[in-house]
Amino acid sequence: MRNLFVIVGASLAGATAAVRLREEGFGGRVVLIGEEVHPPYQRPPLSKRYLRGEQPFEDALVKPADFYASNDIDTRLGTRATRIDPIEKSLELSNGDHIRYDKALIATGSRNRRFPIPGQDLAGVYDLRTVDDCDRIRDEVVPGRRAAIVGMGFIGCEVAASLRQLGLDVVVIEGGKAPLDRVLGKEVGQVVEHIHRDHGVKMIFEEHVSGFQGTGSVERIVTESGRNIDCDFAVVGVGVEPVTDIVVGSDIEVDNGIVVDEYCRTNVDGVFAAGDVANHYHPIFKQKMRVEHWHNAVNQGAAAARNMMGTASIYDEVHWFWSDQYDYNLQYAGFHRDWDELVVRGSLEERDFIALYVKDGLVAAAVGMNRGRDVRRAMRVIKARTAVDAKLLGNDDLDLRQLVVN
Amino acid sequence: MGKFTAVGSTSQLADDDLKGFEVRGIKIAVANVRGTMYAFDNVCTHQQCPLAKGELEDTTVTCPCHGSQFDVTTGAVLRGPAQDPVDSYPVHVQDDTIEIEV
Repeated sequence: MRNLFVIVGASLAGATAAVRLREEGFGGRVVLIGEEVHPPYQRPPLSKRYLRGEQPFEDALVKPADFYASNDIDTRLGTRATRIDPIEKSLELSNGDHIRYDKALIATGSRNRRFPIPGQDLAGVYDLRTVDDCDRIRDEVVPGRRAAIVGMGFIGCEVAASLRQLGLDVVVIEGGKAPLDRVLGKEVGQVVEHIHRDHGVKMIFEEHVSGFQGTGSVERIVTESGRNIDCDFAVVGVGVEPVTDIVVGSDIEVDNGIVVDEYCRTNVDGVFAAGDVANHYHPIFKQKMRVEHWHNAVNQGAAAARNMMGTASIYDEVHWFWSDQYDYNLQYAGFHRDWDELVVRGSLEERDFIALYVKDGLVAAAVGMNRGRDVRRAMRVIKARTAVDAKLLGNDDLDLRQLVVN
Repeated sequence: MGKFTAVGSTSQLADDDLKGFEVRGIKIAVANVRGTMYAFDNVCTHQQCPLAKGELEDTTVTCPCHGSQFDVTTGAVLRGPAQDPVDSYPVHVQDDTIEIEV
């Protein structure tokens, strides 16, 4: 009997793992189970180029649709895995089938968070995760229509930018003091705020939605302080949570996602996890973290595949992501929750900078605007984990590479 | 066979640096890998960002916009999101002059 590796979630992490298993020469059976009916695809374009109609869906596919069959990857799309039994090494599917596996990878990703707000089931209230969600929003796009966006995290920011670029009126309601301020701090958040203001986005901060109202479909948002914001449709982007339902009742450890070590292994033999769902131990930062970005999905998915094959492959990537808004390219690298000092190279006002988050004398993370090269160099400083002098760090004329002792 | 065109001097390009040139309307990046020059398209195949504004580490160039990585010696994709390679071009160094065959 050939070994059978099952991958739960035809996500970017899951599909990348399946592809990598074949690339690395795995000769056993590979079963890839996905709840969506579409072949595995990448989600970044859904808030940007696909949403704006600049890119066909096919360009977002992880691999061409016929790749899987021609590489002996058994895809079960439109199918949900409902339960895993790691003692029997069995997976239960929504269609009643059971699959006996030798090793399993959980790459179920995350789902959009929704708060219980009255009226959110009204027509015209959307959130964005799948290409189907995106198509529903695209159907609403007509220049001059009024879009209300709830939440100004990365998805809210990118959707706001895309809808402005498409000629819609956009108003955003955000609980924080600035876009992205909980993640990046108010200095960087205000830069993003000014960019959106310059592009005509109306923003309401420190305000919470108490209800969506309308006859048949949403016509206005009511806020806790009693404001009425008229709109033709609304997009809610208030964060995500990991999808761990499948492990309920098993011994697989769950704590803010599925807990894995630096080899993508759960606490249960033969079960791995990767991508948004994996709360993974990071050997450079010496702590667990869960990361909801493209780069992690790709690289952790690939690392998981190698580890499933028995090639001990430590996953210690410095996390990195980008966000394109209008003509601005924002990139983040590293990992931080809080910081002692924010060192800025370049100019926040001129929107040409890299800001470094220093914690306990070490650079924990960096965010750059239109500074991809510097962010890449900062990744070396982050990875080196050596103390740096804040004065040298802040000197924009000094090449960041020189701060790394080789 | 294309012909070799002089684009600049090696003094313009320090070790581990990249620079963009244009040869008959084609945007070309040149990478200096510890003294050896490599030439390739200066346009990322993902979203057309200029690779010469990216970062060079050994023989890997990283796109400044979305992190795609290419092998400067062959143009091959090492990491996405780009899926297609960039073209690469033969380079001659005559005295201090960098010549590219296009």
